[in-house]
Amino acid sequence: MGTHRSLSRRLGVFALIVLVMVLGLGIRLVDYQVVRAEQIREESFKSRSITQTLPALRGQIRDSSGQVLARTVFRYDVNAAPKNVGSVFKTVDGVRTERTVEQIVAELAPLIELTPEELAVLLAGDSEYSNLAKKVDGETYNAIRELNIPWIYFDAFADRLYPNGAVAGNVIGFVGSDGEPLAGLERQYNTCLAGIDGQETFERSAEGVRIPTSNVTTQPTQNGGTLNLAIDANLQFFAQQVLANTVNDLGAQWASAVVVEVETGKLLAAAEAPSVDPNDPAASDANNRGSKIFQAAFEPGSIMKALTSAMVLDTKTANAYDTVRAPDYMKLDFAGGWIKDSFGHEPFNLTLGGVLRYSSNTGMSSFGVKIDKETRYNYLQKFGFGSVSPLRFEGESSGILHDYKDWDKMTNYATTYGQGISITGIQMAYAYQAMANEGVRLDPILVENCTADDGSIIYQPKQNATRVISKETAKLNLNLMEKVVEFGGVGRNAAIDGYRVAGKTGTAQIKDGSGYGSQFAISFYGLAPVENPKFIVGITIYKAVGVSNSLQATFPFKAIMQQALKTYRVPPSTTKSPDLPSGSQGEVEPRN
Amino acid sequence: MAVYMVSQAQARQLRPNMTAGLIIVVGIIVVLLGQLALNMVLTQDAYHLRSLKLEKRDLATQVQILQEEVDSLASPQNLADAANRLGMVANPASVLLDIENDRVFGKPRPASAENAVVVSANLVANSAMGTVSDFTAATVASAQVSESVETPKPALSGLVLESGLIPASPTR
Repeated sequence: MGTHRSLSRRLGVFALIVLVMVLGLGIRLVDYQVVRAEQIREESFKSRSITQTLPALRGQIRDSSGQVLARTVFRYDVNAAPKNVGSVFKTVDGVRTERTVEQIVAELAPLIELTPEELAVLLAGDSEYSNLAKKVDGETYNAIRELNIPWIYFDAFADRLYPNGAVAGNVIGFVGSDGEPLAGLERQYNTCLAGIDGQETFERSAEGVRIPTSNVTTQPTQNGGTLNLAIDANLQFFAQQVLANTVNDLGAQWASAVVVEVETGKLLAAAEAPSVDPNDPAASDANNRGSKIFQAAFEPGSIMKALTSAMVLDTKTANAYDTVRAPDYMKLDFAGGWIKDSFGHEPFNLTLGGVLRYSSNTGMSSFGVKIDKETRYNYLQKFGFGSVSPLRFEGESSGILHDYKDWDKMTNYATTYGQGISITGIQMAYAYQAMANEGVRLDPILVENCTADDGSIIYQPKQNATRVISKETAKLNLNLMEKVVEFGGVGRNAAIDGYRVAGKTGTAQIKDGSGYGSQFAISFYGLAPVENPKFIVGITIYKAVGVSNSLQATFPFKAIMQQALKTYRVPPSTTKSPDLPSGSQGEVEPRN
Repeated sequence: MAVYMVSQAQARQLRPNMTAGLIIVVGIIVVLLGQLALNMVLTQDAYHLRSLKLEKRDLATQVQILQEEVDSLASPQNLADAANRLGMVANPASVLLDIENDRVFGKPRPASAENAVVVSANLVANSAMGTVSDFTAATVASAQVSESVETPKPALSGLVLESGLIPASPTR
């Protein structure tokens, strides 16, 4: 029995020890699992998990045919850790080869456009980071990666590429090096283009491999939309070529060309010279990085006469046969008031057609002032002057149209032939669009829409139509404007073989302080074919050296209009212009 | 702790069931092995996924490089320059044919460099242009060789039809 008792005692001691150990472990367990559970779980998750931003890609900008004008690409900064710079060893088939730092430098330097000496300097020292090259493209990136240098690493980032360079660059705008949109449509339509960055969290193993099924997407990535423009990139390029040529030839400060599709109000081309290459905006003068078509207001001069003529016809103040006396110099009914034509001539008796064809200031104002100021002011507003276009382009100018109550005696006359009012190229183009579109002015369309990845339309601008003049007035006025191209001394140079063309020349003096300077803004705004107008082309050339008439504006007009007619396969006219009086004495001029 | 005396028959009854124990032990081993296998597959797939992601990244880079090359070649600046180097001149006198009404619009006129309104060479900046059209003797020659290899031989109209191809147009 003694044996039994000692066995029981030993068992008791053993049970006690086990109990103490279990209790100890239990306390620890409760401490880890209950008391500090939250904190420990968090620490463990932190050491394994990674939160990553999934950057949204900025959307494309495309032209009317889908040509890409702006896209997002990846660029790479090449960095090294000088601390780790050393020879690279490689074992192939048991043979160990060594590439020395000098050899690597010699291979790497030309790829990042540095001399081996410059590169060696960047690799010296024992820091963790040294930037070797910024913004290298994919090809260079691949070439460097193929060198298999363990102490070289890359930072990839999204960058903007404009494959067609300065084509429509003034309108498209550009983004800064940090991806912030800085100008033009890039900035105005950032909401469409930008997209929303996503975020995901996942766990990874000690080797950095993602642990399967641990992904948690906390925010899905939403890539930017595609901005589809009405611009025809090929026509735009052609127009920019023509303008670059013009500006070079004439030593002009700038030139602009607008092409509008009459029936739809689409802006097919908004070209300027000098232009900006959005890939490298710093290469252009700061003044040329915006769009003069929208941002530069100037006194239009005689291109305004076509609009005054439309008002005269629309108010039935005169018809196509009524004449006014138009001397080359006319004293006005107030002290110090006079108007002069741009050339000396015997007194003419001009119809509206004659006024346009001879571009007579005295004739136009004699017709114009028969309409009261308020009515003319209302017409000007309806034509779109004095307010920014519905496009609301970045920094767009509204031009200056003073309230008719503030018009002084001279302004009352001057507005009829385009002085005392300032306009932008876009305003004038759409005023002409109204005349060509049977009197209805359409809101300009520059952006057709913004579409998401799946093709659904996120945004589409609304287009309003405003009746400015009656259909009959519009048609008759085009026939009168056609006389400018048929018989006008300068206008004749805008004629295009086979097509009926109507338009108006303009040679506007440029305000210089309180008076007018010696330089001009010359223009030609016109349309074709007259019987069924398809396009408006508006040219302005600003401050051309030694140029004092609008002849030089007719050449780019003709070239661009011809290109538009050819590109869009517009068949030549089959009708002739009607016989309407446009001679110096109100007679019908004989055709050649 | 107490020790009891039992009969042989009772003792046999109390002996643990061998089969049940075996089933449980084998079952646990099978489950553990299964889990191990599943884990191995998943881990393997994780590595596979990673390598595929790297491959995808490389291919995306490749696509980008090619896309930029195409962009550059297709840019109007390159086309204008290329056309100019080949001596091409734009002809503003377009002629349209109306097939329905059998009419010809416009007068055909040969283009001439003197009458061209615009110089053909590019005047519009494009710093993104990298690859440009190449007309060196070597590339042109190689292009012609490959073309002559691929051009199907004409004048086999009878046979061509049997081989399922559309016969050549009789227009010469």
